[in-house]
Amino acid sequence: MERRRLKLYLLLGALVIGAFLPLLPVTNLYLLTVLILMLIFVIYASAWNLLAYSGQGSLGHAAFFGLGGYASSMIALNSGLSPCITIFAGAAFSAFVGLLIGLTCVRLKEWFLAMVTFGFAIIIQTVIVSMLASITGGWDGYAVPKLISSDIHHYLLWEYYFIFIITIITILAIRLILKSRIGLALAAIRENELEARAAGIDPVQFKLLAFTISAFIAGIAGGLEIHHFGYITPEIFGVELSFWPIIYSITGGLGTLAGPVIGTVAVSILWDGLNIFGLTYERYIIIGILLILTIIYLPRGLVSLGERFEEKREGVRDFR
Amino acid sequence: MNHKLLTALAILLVAAASAGCSEQQQSENEIRVGVVASMTGPASTTGKDIWQSAVLAAEEINADGGVFVQDLNRQVPIRLIQGDDESTREGGLKAVSKLITQDDVDLLVGGFSSAVVLAHQSIVADHRVPYIISGASSTAVSARDDIDTQYMFYHRPNTDDSSGVATLFIGDVLRPAINAKFNFPDDRPLRLAIIYQDSPYGKGHLSAIHNTIEAHDLNIEVVAEESFKMGESDFRTILTSVKAARPDAVYAVTFLNEQIPLVQQARRDVGLDTIFLTIEPNDDPDYYSGVGRYGEFSMLESRFSPYAAPKGPTGSAISEFVDKFNARWGGFPGMMGAATYESIYIAAQAIENAGTLDKAKVRDALDALEMPQMIEAMQGGVIAFSDDYRESKFDLYMSQLIWDESVGELRPKIVWPDTLKETDLILPDWYTPGSE
Amino acid sequence: MDLNPDVFIQILFWGLYAGCIYILLATGLNLIFGVMKIVNFAHGEFLMIGAYITLLFLALTGFNPYVLLLASMPMVIGIGIMVERLCFRPILGTGKLNEIFVSLGLIYIFQNGVALIWTDEWKTIPSPFVDITVSIGSLKLPLDYLIIIILTVGILAGLHIFLRKTSLGRAIRATSQNRKAAMLMGINVERMDMLSFGIGTGLAAGAGTLWAVSGQVFNPYMGSIPAIKTFAIVILGGLGSIPGAIVGGLLLGITENIATFTLGGAWKDAISFILLIVVLIIRPTGIFGEAGE
Repeated sequence: MERRRLKLYLLLGALVIGAFLPLLPVTNLYLLTVLILMLIFVIYASAWNLLAYSGQGSLGHAAFFGLGGYASSMIALNSGLSPCITIFAGAAFSAFVGLLIGLTCVRLKEWFLAMVTFGFAIIIQTVIVSMLASITGGWDGYAVPKLISSDIHHYLLWEYYFIFIITIITILAIRLILKSRIGLALAAIRENELEARAAGIDPVQFKLLAFTISAFIAGIAGGLEIHHFGYITPEIFGVELSFWPIIYSITGGLGTLAGPVIGTVAVSILWDGLNIFGLTYERYIIIGILLILTIIYLPRGLVSLGERFEEKREGVRDFR
Repeated sequence: MNHKLLTALAILLVAAASAGCSEQQQSENEIRVGVVASMTGPASTTGKDIWQSAVLAAEEINADGGVFVQDLNRQVPIRLIQGDDESTREGGLKAVSKLITQDDVDLLVGGFSSAVVLAHQSIVADHRVPYIISGASSTAVSARDDIDTQYMFYHRPNTDDSSGVATLFIGDVLRPAINAKFNFPDDRPLRLAIIYQDSPYGKGHLSAIHNTIEAHDLNIEVVAEESFKMGESDFRTILTSVKAARPDAVYAVTFLNEQIPLVQQARRDVGLDTIFLTIEPNDDPDYYSGVGRYGEFSMLESRFSPYAAPKGPTGSAISEFVDKFNARWGGFPGMMGAATYESIYIAAQAIENAGTLDKAKVRDALDALEMPQMIEAMQGGVIAFSDDYRESKFDLYMSQLIWDESVGELRPKIVWPDTLKETDLILPDWYTPGSE
Repeated sequence: MDLNPDVFIQILFWGLYAGCIYILLATGLNLIFGVMKIVNFAHGEFLMIGAYITLLFLALTGFNPYVLLLASMPMVIGIGIMVERLCFRPILGTGKLNEIFVSLGLIYIFQNGVALIWTDEWKTIPSPFVDITVSIGSLKLPLDYLIIIILTVGILAGLHIFLRKTSLGRAIRATSQNRKAAMLMGINVERMDMLSFGIGTGLAAGAGTLWAVSGQVFNPYMGSIPAIKTFAIVILGGLGSIPGAIVGGLLLGITENIATFTLGGAWKDAISFILLIVVLIIRPTGIFGEAGE
């Protein structure tokens, strides 16, 4: 009971901070930019994490992130619709490609899956800069409409709240999925595919579903980022962009709902904080060490820190 | 429980707030210049060059008392603030927005990778901060029309400028020289092969070569066009097919880590004994030490070289800058460093001309700026920003690499244009022209 | 283009030289996988460290860089053993995704650690034989490439003898074939893990030295591309299969070069992955891979 209440308070606290932080008088463009990027990566990391929940670790999620961005911006440019709408169309396209990629991936073992997803990000980038260069502008990219037109007063603030709401909806949606039959099936497949099959779960079907949903959400994140930048280039498929959601999710807590959220916030703050101390390469080394330490000593991430603490405290109480 | 949680929340909010308002100071005591450079990530070698050169320039200006600002009626020192773009678009956006709002800079300088600059241009446009961009050579950056770029000034040749000069050289100097040496008819076209990096940089130069050939009606026939992935180290297959096309010269749009193995493999492994031309980023001490004797007689388009001394007033300015840089940091400055060093002086001059730190007036002063060239030779000997896209125009040159026995390395000798020239173009004995 | 036999043999020779680096990397990877059943995605970083150690000792001693194999390989074996103890042993048997994630952390640590020490400027190691070519029949071959091929064969032969003829080598092979049985026979399998990981990374370091001496320009991020290609090769050939690695390497080399010819160099990386994906769709365990785990 205690724990539920604690969770509720934490959740409310996060919501209050998220809702009011941008309104504080000290909040400026920098803080707002950091917050917006943080939210985008919360969505993106959550997408990656959902796929990992089904036991599939992708090393090439930038493929979906980038496709969402390209598709959404093209639809927005050609139809004149607001990017606030087209990001979902872009995400749908990303989900469709996710389904196709998923079809080649569902039968593969972990390492093979990692390599194949990594490869898809490279293949898609190559196609965009070569075969499709006439419509994608090749390496030069093209300018895209802003999420909220910069003519509107305080447009960044509106952008922030729009992304904030999308983040909440995304997390609620993932929660619904994880609590439903689908979530149970995914967890069963992750733990033991043979047993899951014996229990009447079709692993292929559910893995594909996870792939599609994850690609959809990653596509939303990519669309948001591109319309926030106002310009798209093929760098969006970069390896770094495939790696960040992994680092965020693992540090926060692999396979948990709150993991990607806490991980993204914690690592981003650490990352930008280390920058203030003038650490450059050291930042990457610290992140690398943190990642390995988390995997070895805290396999369920920062999320489990609270639980551990509580367990210890309850243990003490029992002893009394 | 409840209490603790509230305290934690309060602490978090205070921490966030204090992070937000740190370093907010009166900006009247100093001129705050934000330097956008890649201090980490793949572009960090160039980033360090940019930052160190900027520091050198600021220290020199401050040693003289600073910049005189009419409004304040006194000299004000420059304070540089580093913005690490991490070589990524996200990092660049964060760095620039921090410089603009948190550090409250009066002016921005720097910017290297085109993709990174493209992602943070709109935020600069929104906040109307003068930005002297010393990198990002892609024309996609300067010719943007979806945002208001009137606060952005470009102190670098764009890809059209650089490859334009090199292509003109091929058509006007190299072609006649080859035809004369081998007794070919005067109207024989030069057979050019192009090897380019598959990137914004490579694609930009490729189209510039074609545009120049067309615009100047040059008698150049492009007989092969091959691309390679950034960071490639095995060029043998590409070179084999280039050799099969029998070119008179090979134009390579590369970075030095690619140019070194490319030239070595071409001459040693494939036996492609021809003239190699490449462009300015390769004019770097590491290139000369890495390429060895195989790079002999190859050509380099450049605007700043650690070793070449162009005829005319910039010659002594270059050696002075190289010495000062070496004394301050140890090592050689690069081309991007030279441009950033000049950019800091440009900024100082513009503020002095404006007589105020008011951003709109500084912008207008930049727009109207005409100051004498410094290290890099400028067209007309003057640094001024063009009317269309506010780009400064460089006097670019071609140098040829000649073996220097005393250092055991190649050294560049400027062969074109005549105003800067050191020696004549040489076609070596081993050179074999292409044929049909 | 005209493909006369001389040119063809020459191209084959370049393939052989480039293949040496991949075979050294792939053999190391397969050795580690065979014994520990893990895949170290940071394998390319050991190649990079090998090159930097060579650079360091070249500056210190001025020896012929080929001799410095004797420095780079043992030192990286030491580093490899430390990495195995500190990073991979704690996660053995905790789920395969963890190996991938640990490697990711290692990539960040090694690349930036090296950048911190040596900066990330491009470095070169000049070979003392750079201007020497040897004529064999109608072919003119650079001496460096011949040395590299001979050294690679030497290293692999040494490894072969070690695995076949020494008791330690036999113990490694036994662990690789059946871990439980090996344990029951009194083999200290944890020591075998350490040893095979060390030898595997040592091979990567040897590849790094040879790569750097052959005229490559390197920086701290240079290990990733060859490593990724090696994975593709190892997966193509089937994990743990040495003949598979050789076939996979040849297949990849040929496909890449054909793609460069026909589609352009931009496709060089993409085509390796397309090949990989096509093979895996047809045979999810690779060409020579076993069906089960």
